[in-house]
Amino acid sequence: MGRFLLRRLAFFVFTLIFTSLLVFVLTRVLPGDVARIILGREAGEDQVAALRVELGLDQPLVIQYLDWVGDFARGDWGKTFVSPRQDIREIVLQRAEKSGWLALVTLVMAVPISITLGVIAGLREGKFLDSLISLLSLSVVSLPEFVTGLFLINIVARNSDFFPASSSGIGPGTTFMEALPKLWLPAITATLVLIAYIARLTRAGVIEELKRDYVRTAVLKGLPYRVVVIKHVLRNALIPTITVIANSTGWLISGLVVIEFVYGYRGLGSLLIAAIENRNLPQIQAIVMVTVSVILVANFLADMLYSILNPRITLS
Amino acid sequence: MAQAEQITETEASSRKSKPLNHSIAATTEFLRLLFGQLQSGLGAVIVLLFLLLAVLGPIIAPYAANDQSALPLLAPGAGHPFGTDALGRDVFSRVMLGTQSIFVTAGTGTLIAVVLGAAVGLFIGYQGGLLDEVISRAIDAFLALPALLIALVVLGVVKNLDFVAGSWQALLADSSVLLVIALVYVPIVARVIRSSTLEVKTREFVQAAQIRGESRVYIIFREILPSVVPALVVEASLRFSYAIFLVASLGFLGAGARPPSPDWGLMVNENRRIYQVAPWALAYPAAAIALLVVGVNLTSDGIKRIVQKRG
Amino acid sequence: MNETVLRVENLGISYRMRNRWLPAVRDFQVRVRRGQIHGIVGESGSGKSTVVQGIIRYLAENGRTDPGSVIEFLGRDLANASRQELQKLWGAQVSIVPQHPMSALNPSIRVGEQVAEIVRLHAGLGRAAAREAVIRAFQRVNLADPETLLERYPHELSGGMQQRIVIAMALITSPQLLILDEPTTNLDVTTEAVILDLVRKLIREEQAAAIYVTHNLGVIAQLCDRVTVMYAGEIMEEGTVNDLFARPLHPYTFGLLNSIPRPGQTKRDRALITIPGRPPSLTELPQGCVYAPRCPLAIEICRQPPPLELPAERHLIRCHRWQEILRGEVSISAEAQAGVDDIAIADLQREHLLTVSGLTKHFPVRRSLFDLLRGTSPLPIRAVDNVNLSVQKGRTLGLVGESGSGKTTLSRMIIGLTERTGGEITFMGLDIRNHVRERSKDVLARLQMIFQNPQNSLNPYLTVGQSIRRPLMKLLGMSRQDADREVSRLLRAVNLQPDYAVRYPDELSGGEKQRVAIARAFASDPALIICDEPVSSLDVSVQAAVLNLLARLQEEQDTAYLFISHDLSVVSYLADYVAVMYLGEIFEVGYGRDLFEPPMHPYTEALVSALPVPDPRRRTRPIPLSDDIPSPRNLPTGCRFHTRCPHKIGRICEDEVPPWRDEGNGHFIRCHIPLDELQAKQQAYAQPAAETAWGLMGKEQG
Repeated sequence: MGRFLLRRLAFFVFTLIFTSLLVFVLTRVLPGDVARIILGREAGEDQVAALRVELGLDQPLVIQYLDWVGDFARGDWGKTFVSPRQDIREIVLQRAEKSGWLALVTLVMAVPISITLGVIAGLREGKFLDSLISLLSLSVVSLPEFVTGLFLINIVARNSDFFPASSSGIGPGTTFMEALPKLWLPAITATLVLIAYIARLTRAGVIEELKRDYVRTAVLKGLPYRVVVIKHVLRNALIPTITVIANSTGWLISGLVVIEFVYGYRGLGSLLIAAIENRNLPQIQAIVMVTVSVILVANFLADMLYSILNPRITLS
Repeated sequence: MAQAEQITETEASSRKSKPLNHSIAATTEFLRLLFGQLQSGLGAVIVLLFLLLAVLGPIIAPYAANDQSALPLLAPGAGHPFGTDALGRDVFSRVMLGTQSIFVTAGTGTLIAVVLGAAVGLFIGYQGGLLDEVISRAIDAFLALPALLIALVVLGVVKNLDFVAGSWQALLADSSVLLVIALVYVPIVARVIRSSTLEVKTREFVQAAQIRGESRVYIIFREILPSVVPALVVEASLRFSYAIFLVASLGFLGAGARPPSPDWGLMVNENRRIYQVAPWALAYPAAAIALLVVGVNLTSDGIKRIVQKRG
Repeated sequence: MNETVLRVENLGISYRMRNRWLPAVRDFQVRVRRGQIHGIVGESGSGKSTVVQGIIRYLAENGRTDPGSVIEFLGRDLANASRQELQKLWGAQVSIVPQHPMSALNPSIRVGEQVAEIVRLHAGLGRAAAREAVIRAFQRVNLADPETLLERYPHELSGGMQQRIVIAMALITSPQLLILDEPTTNLDVTTEAVILDLVRKLIREEQAAAIYVTHNLGVIAQLCDRVTVMYAGEIMEEGTVNDLFARPLHPYTFGLLNSIPRPGQTKRDRALITIPGRPPSLTELPQGCVYAPRCPLAIEICRQPPPLELPAERHLIRCHRWQEILRGEVSISAEAQAGVDDIAIADLQREHLLTVSGLTKHFPVRRSLFDLLRGTSPLPIRAVDNVNLSVQKGRTLGLVGESGSGKTTLSRMIIGLTERTGGEITFMGLDIRNHVRERSKDVLARLQMIFQNPQNSLNPYLTVGQSIRRPLMKLLGMSRQDADREVSRLLRAVNLQPDYAVRYPDELSGGEKQRVAIARAFASDPALIICDEPVSSLDVSVQAAVLNLLARLQEEQDTAYLFISHDLSVVSYLADYVAVMYLGEIFEVGYGRDLFEPPMHPYTEALVSALPVPDPRRRTRPIPLSDDIPSPRNLPTGCRFHTRCPHKIGRICEDEVPPWRDEGNGHFIRCHIPLDELQAKQQAYAQPAAETAWGLMGKEQG
């Protein structure tokens, strides 16, 4: 287990370095004159020159990269360029918290439902219930978040008082409980996509396990079907589901970008779109790095849980 | 001693074939299985209809994409089956013309990703060693990033670059969405094909080729590639569906096609504010996206089932 | 007479395919009494596993037992039993020992719990009592340290241990009926022998009725009281093993018995009997006798389905001509085919084609992060260590060893697919480069290989013709026309019609594919062909034809073989000279028959004693070897066999590498025990010479 986790930890570090390089190349090297891009075409030459110095653009690329990574690691993520100049770290973390709320509500809804649906469909493979669940999840997974989101806003929210159609109005000072009513609709939108994704993979896992020889052994021990399924099949089928859920973090984050945009929810996703709109390169860098870290931490936690639950890894 | 072995005429199976017939027969069988199932058959019909629309759209669309001659916000009816939008453009024509653009962008992007990804996957899978190790780890790292995120960042940066009109950079920037699709999917295809290659590589016919001194290129393309094609087809169909999804999302977020092009995602975004007065302007392009993705997914599921059943 | 535990009459089993019921098993019957082991033997597709699944009513969802089937278990009707009734029987009174123990055990539940849940369910024991019962069950199957074992997971155990656990699981409730479905198929022969011995002892103790399903006639002869021979879903013949092996009445039984080489028999003695053709598929069953299309004795009447007849007390036969066979009026002559010409085998003058000296392969083990931190590097896996051997022109060197012996690695180094760590390879006087990519065209052409698995050795997307043509054009530089002509010739040489050239591998049977692979290997006119287990994945009837073909081609073309197999009988049948490998080293070399007669290396002795001889009159007790084979990462010091050796003489075996001892006639043994002492120790176990037991059919039927 130690060896397995060390490998995963090495991958974690490697991926962070890789991502930082990728982000650096994308936002610093590729665009040409970064300062000009940030400030726009109308900015004066002296302003641009000042920003160049602030960003260290006069330095060689290697130094620029190391400076940036070093500053970032120390928590100095830079300031926005339009006045009032704000600390990027503060904004990004505050927005990340809001996205975290949304993700949390989504996961709490999606995981139990999707696993239940996936297990039912897997156990009933080829039967009516399976076809129904499979077709529904396939259709839902095929719908872009903005289509389901707009559908929910325009059909559900406008016809009910319970769900507010817009999630705007959640600011830095809002508490989770205050925000909760406004979280339902975006979370349901994200849940739909996630349910389809997790349920499909859970179903596949259950079907695969049901075909294994040990299931035959268990049945021929005379065990009741219920025991065969719960004790023997699910134990093996659900362990990989942990990985599936962790892998869906990336999926969830992409979804959240679109959903936050649709609902006007002030999370990290809408911040990213705004940052791109405003050519705020340091902020883009910060958002991408935070996102990747979240994904990697989720994957790492899942790996740890997986290696604890799966005896084939624990003891080898 | 010769009579100890008998000529095995009786072993002759009833299926006799010529090489050419073999591939035709295999294709026919494949299509029979695909259309034989309700779900995959339905999916394939949907995709084929959209494909037809993509080809014929520019010819049969009643209006040009930006023809603003009609009254704005007309409800669906004669002359405008899907109504008109806030600028008086015919929604029906725009949806039709958008079909072509989504097929070209998502389709070409997928095609590039599949070709490049397959080449990379075959090569590193067969070669193995340090090169494989390095590239594979880089692919894993790249795949930790959500595709939409990469696409947004890249497109956001490219959008702000100034190129001389007509220069090659400008041409590239014009097809940036297509190239981004290719970029984000090359690693995934490469990983899938690499793992199939690793499996095929251990088979004995590959070793038989090695011991008669075949070159690397011969072994990769002549011996391994055919066995990898089924996995490649499944992956390609899956990627195509994700690509459509991604193109539409980018359009919606304003990072893809720019107004006034008849891009489905963009149309949804443009018209979402006027939903109360003209729901059709939003509903039809949204429905088109959903229907096409469902169709491609159903087909892809069917292809996967057929390929897996054959083992 | 003992009580009948199981009575099956008129059993039919069908599977639903594309809205049709395909009859997989037809008109099956069997009666098994208490304390009796009933064997069911057949090749792949014979329906032998389907039968037992039908008997215990555990069929796939699209399967059914046909109406009219009678399955009576201790007077109860199983054919119409409900799922609830079956659940009470399964695991309690009817148990099964499945084929692959690794996959039959749940990977994420401790093995103790997997066994304990059975007694808790059926015997109503509490946790503590169940635990005690499991420990006793583990002790009965000779598992050491049962308390610790309870907490283990399946993947932490060796194949032999997993198999014992599965057996303990099946026996813990003292079932009345025990079904063993190929339980030893994937085990090494020494492990298999120990398990069979255990099974025999336990069934005798339990006085259960047992059905043993296998494709291996040797196992049947060694273990069973009665045997049913199945083919294409029907009983061909049933009788006591003594009757059936001594006096088979069905041509198929006869063919099966004579298609396997007996221990000690060589190609010089006689050719093997082959069964042409292949079993029919369920969708195209022949109208009359299902075996008629392959039967050498088939006549007009065989177009009618033969009835299942009872020629003698408790013997069943399904053949129109059994009476003629019984009276000896017709026979499949066993003597018509002589072996290959006997040139003086100890012909030392023959040119040495291939010489290997000091050949070594150590696979490096990847350094883990721990190793990096500690600054250590892990010990390499020593797959092959300092091996010397040579192959003469036109002769066969056999290489035998169990899994992990390094025989495949050795062959891959010679062919150049694996790079050697050390040692020299000289081939036709040339020093051979390490990797196949560095070797000249000429070397490539003259050194070829036949692979183990015919399913994989041909590219499924190339026609047979394309596969054979390629080496002709690539290595011999033939034109397309010449190559096509040569393809036809080669196909005829391996007894296939030239029109096979346009077929794809998936249209060929396993045996046909292997013939094509042989034709491809012979295409470039090689001087030496490495045959890596070329028959081990083939059914026995097909195996014989391939062995005969290899022997004949060698005789015609003067090609040398390096023939690798885990099966000592097969190796010594085909080879002129045999080397026995264990854990990367060679321990004995000798002429085919030397290996079956004392003095033998203790390991060879164990291998020979473990061979399930297909003759019920020669039931042997195997020399029990412990089934924990040392890991090649952590090899024993001194003699590598000392950890399992029954003749170990003391510290010297642990400390010193044993010397080679020369019997003086080309027979060498690497052991600390002098040859005469070894011989004396082994006389007690001595096997009768091969000839005395051989030729059952030939002698009795003339």
